[in-house]
Amino acid sequence: MATLIVALVVGAVLFGIGLYGALSQTNLVMIMMGVELMLGAAMVNLVAFWRFLHPEVYAGQMFVLIVMTVMALEMAVGFGVATGRFRARGSVEMEEAQELKG
Amino acid sequence: MGQAVFTGFFGAAAIWFGVVVFRTSSMVRSALALLFSQAAIGAMFLAMETEFLGVLQLMMMATEMAIMAIFMVMYMMDPGGLGGMDMTHQKRASLVAGALGAVAALVVALLAGWGPVATRVPAATAQVHDLGIEIMERSMLIFETAGVTILTAMIAATAIAIRRRR
Repeated sequence: MATLIVALVVGAVLFGIGLYGALSQTNLVMIMMGVELMLGAAMVNLVAFWRFLHPEVYAGQMFVLIVMTVMALEMAVGFGVATGRFRARGSVEMEEAQELKG
Repeated sequence: MGQAVFTGFFGAAAIWFGVVVFRTSSMVRSALALLFSQAAIGAMFLAMETEFLGVLQLMMMATEMAIMAIFMVMYMMDPGGLGGMDMTHQKRASLVAGALGAVAALVVALLAGWGPVATRVPAATAQVHDLGIEIMERSMLIFETAGVTILTAMIAATAIAIRRRR
């Protein structure tokens, strides 16, 4: 039980750090780093749940693979947007992207 | 007991490097800190006897964060952090939101009744075998959907990033 709680506590703190980063940073790449930390926290929780609650059901590991896929997708699309934005405006600062509000 | 100690050690490392990501002003250091944080998460997986996912996490994050470091140097106005630029906004609100999110998750983690804990886990080779069976049988549709989504994202990212002809 101790390891499960340790892993969940680590996941909770990592999620908080990631949320702070995603909300406080003005640069698109730094915002993506915050999101990566939050997804990392989700993976820690999923692995802990699989290992300590249901090691016989592999849907837990499958879920982690999907979260890893989401991380890769977020990177690919995020850098695509960053490249497009840099070409158009010469900056990826989100403070200068007010027009994206619509 | 040893498992809890190792999980806690690597967890503390992941948290420490996660904090460093947003505390250093050098963008390359920031990307490397995220790499170490994600690598520590991979080591946590290994400590929790989830060998396949641990190795996968280490391999994926090493390459992913190396690419991220290159992009950060390309696109940041002050990649070395020598200019002392402040690239944050709404700091207090973000701190409150982050702390609230962490506390809410901590409360659930500590107060929820998790039921009986499994003491044994399948061997590493059995895990890889069973995960393969899971992917090819019950979760095949999900796996295929992930593959198609990756393809779509690759095309979309290229379409967004490509130079427009006028």
